[in-house]
Amino acid sequence: MAFLSVENISKTFPGVRALDNVSVDFDKASVHALMGENGAGKSTLGKIIAGVYTPDTGTIKIEGREVKPTDPRIAQNLGIALVHQELAFCPNMTVAENLLLGGFPTNSGFMDWSKLREKSRALLHEIGADIDVETPLAQLTTGQEQMVQIAGAVGVNARIIIFDEPTSSLSTNESEHLFELMARLKQRGVAMLYVSHRMDEIFRVCDTITVLRDGKHVATEPIAQTNRDRLIRQMVGREVLMTRPKHLDLQPGEEILRVENLSSTGKFENVSFNVCRGEIVGMGGLVGAGRTEVATAIFGLDNRATGKVYIKGKEMPLGNVNESMRRRIALLPEDRKRAGLVLGMSILDNTSLAHIDYFSAGGFVDRKRELTEVEKLTKRLRVKAPSLETITAGLSGGNQQKVALAKWMVRTCDLLIVDEPTRGVDVGAKAEIYELLDEVACQGLAILMISSELPELLNLSRRVVVLREGFVTGELPHEKFSQEAVLHLMA
Amino acid sequence: MNLSFSKFPEGGLIVVIIALGLLLAIFGGSVRLPKLQTNPDGKRERVFETNAAGQKVPAFESVNKFFNARTLVQIAKDTSFFAIMAVGMTIVIITGGIDLSIGSMYALASVCGALVLSPYGPSGGGGATVLGVVVTVGVGALLGFLNGAMITAFKVHPFIITLGTMAIFRGIAFVQTSGQSIGGFPDGFRQFVRSELIPDLSFVPLIVMIIVTVVGGIFLAQTAIGRKIYAVGGNEIASRYSGIRVGRIKLLAYTLTGLTAGIASVLSLGYYGAGSSGDGQGYELNVIAASVVGGASLVGGKGTALGALLGAVILQMISNGLVILNIPQNYSQIVIGMVVIAAVLLDQLNAALAKRRLLAKTSSIKKEVVKSGDTPVSLKPKTT
Repeated sequence: MAFLSVENISKTFPGVRALDNVSVDFDKASVHALMGENGAGKSTLGKIIAGVYTPDTGTIKIEGREVKPTDPRIAQNLGIALVHQELAFCPNMTVAENLLLGGFPTNSGFMDWSKLREKSRALLHEIGADIDVETPLAQLTTGQEQMVQIAGAVGVNARIIIFDEPTSSLSTNESEHLFELMARLKQRGVAMLYVSHRMDEIFRVCDTITVLRDGKHVATEPIAQTNRDRLIRQMVGREVLMTRPKHLDLQPGEEILRVENLSSTGKFENVSFNVCRGEIVGMGGLVGAGRTEVATAIFGLDNRATGKVYIKGKEMPLGNVNESMRRRIALLPEDRKRAGLVLGMSILDNTSLAHIDYFSAGGFVDRKRELTEVEKLTKRLRVKAPSLETITAGLSGGNQQKVALAKWMVRTCDLLIVDEPTRGVDVGAKAEIYELLDEVACQGLAILMISSELPELLNLSRRVVVLREGFVTGELPHEKFSQEAVLHLMA
Repeated sequence: MNLSFSKFPEGGLIVVIIALGLLLAIFGGSVRLPKLQTNPDGKRERVFETNAAGQKVPAFESVNKFFNARTLVQIAKDTSFFAIMAVGMTIVIITGGIDLSIGSMYALASVCGALVLSPYGPSGGGGATVLGVVVTVGVGALLGFLNGAMITAFKVHPFIITLGTMAIFRGIAFVQTSGQSIGGFPDGFRQFVRSELIPDLSFVPLIVMIIVTVVGGIFLAQTAIGRKIYAVGGNEIASRYSGIRVGRIKLLAYTLTGLTAGIASVLSLGYYGAGSSGDGQGYELNVIAASVVGGASLVGGKGTALGALLGAVILQMISNGLVILNIPQNYSQIVIGMVVIAAVLLDQLNAALAKRRLLAKTSSIKKEVVKSGDTPVSLKPKTT
């Protein structure tokens, strides 16, 4: 009999059916991977088991007995812990206080400081983390913060631990620590669920893999019986083909963007490169290399940038978004929820946001023209939604990204800067975004693409400019592309 | 019914107003008022009748305490001052801001207008009146502009800036007048603001209120700037990334709020015939309350001009209603406070219900998608 089993779980959110009749068994003393594209429902399943969400239908059983973890506290009492992506702490308090935030030890109403230290040390010791409990949380590294979070979640008696993308904000070294900890927990007989995108990790630490697609269960197999390609096929439902983009076979045109010695104190220095009409230039680098900062500076969002930016040979004043837009530069920002969309507004309102003046005459918005033009665009980009009035907060990542892109296609631009265009986007929408970028490049747009995904960067770009710690370390033409060459320049 | 509510969010407020009206009409009971009539000279005078003993005594008539012309007109007039400012306040609240200085702007604009009008005296002509009106409205807009300029230039939270200017503006008004009330305005101006369509109904404040609401509503809903205001409140960063000049939008929003305070000041000068530094004490609470009851969200991105007007009507009905129901006036603050909280709770309930409806809709859409196969699909019905 399985240690933990979920049976016929379904869950609907506004805009998505996140889980559809999913049943999976999980064993003791094992690491069970939950895989799938974004929106496949893997995080949702984890959160249902941890009591964050309540399922619409279905049952959860531990050792054959039905349990109802209707809120995280109940789940914790059942021995279920969740380690999630968002680190939620009070940065103004110490590690010890954060660890026992839910139940400070007190002595007739007064804080019992020694007990607080003692208890929090015990929690950290339990997972083998070596952190001073009196450190203010704000002083910890992200990895240490996560250790504190795990210590708090695991407590002393967790039997089931759900890791939701635990390594997404960790360095390689910190990830290693996490894997060691998972091995120790496994020896103690803990059942672990591991939600991640990272194939390498999955094959390293997991024993069993369950694949979800569009909220449905696709397969559950022992790690030995599967491989990378098989997993991808199961996740996508079809082979992802990275076809050779058509723009590579055309000659690039005139120079659209030339950047000369662009600098911004503390962010990047002496950055120079150019982008021509009909060309996709990739920009590679590690997180913190300054790529996004360069992009936002070109778009006029950095008041302290110095250096020269030429658009079609004419120098452009820096630090003025409207000037950049007038020179027909568009930016698809990295964080679409923060900077790309007004989530509370509809698809229609978001798409026309950057060009409301274009849609209006004498100060009044021409709703009819707005509607027809936006509808054409959303059809072209295949935005899937009940109507244009749908609020963007309820859309999937892929559809949100398409709306954020559509916003810049209302009027033709000369230079399109895309910052992580497929982050948090499912594979189907990814392929569509690649096609679209290729298509507009063929039509003569100059595209600067920032991406942390090497395959994407190498397949789509004609050239790649690599940044490291704010400096350009090299530029590679398409013929010289290889993962090794780029990685060498990056680190 | 549900559909019509989501398309017309102010529908709920109108229902509340009707319910309140019915409540007051039924429970208010009747009152005996002296009977009035208009004599041939156009003056209002009391009607007399002869009683059983043959004496001439004033005649009385029995009317519903709430549902009579005089009370309704009173409520409408009282509402108009708040409603006009609530429309302006709503604009600021939509941008995610707040303006605590509105009562002080109202007082300072009043005082400045009064200082301009007063020297002309009751015999002052039309030119004096126009000058006074322009100064009053202009000072209101200028004060709003100052608020907006400080908020955007110093990047300080609007709560702090307007908390400061709330004291500063009123202080300036006090220094200017040494705390004295200033009156003696041109008669023409006063008669115009007080002019009556039917006896006892001064319609000018009402008309101005309606104009401000309509113009404000069209401005917010139909113009490009209006849409930018909602965008800035919805997500300031995304707005900046879309090339919207966030600072200018905010500056405009605060200026417009000041402008509405100036407009309300003009009406108050004309109606009451005096301006003093003590005018509009505590109005900021009533005005913000009207906006919030009318559906504006302090988080930003939400609110309408019509909502602000209806919110002001509801608060005024409650405050006058307490008098009608013979509940001491002192309780009105308590009740208004509770109404504000209740309105926000109702709004949250409504949002939760809307989310549920959306959920129900989603699951039916998803089924359609699944039926039509695994390839990317548009949601149009298949043509076969």
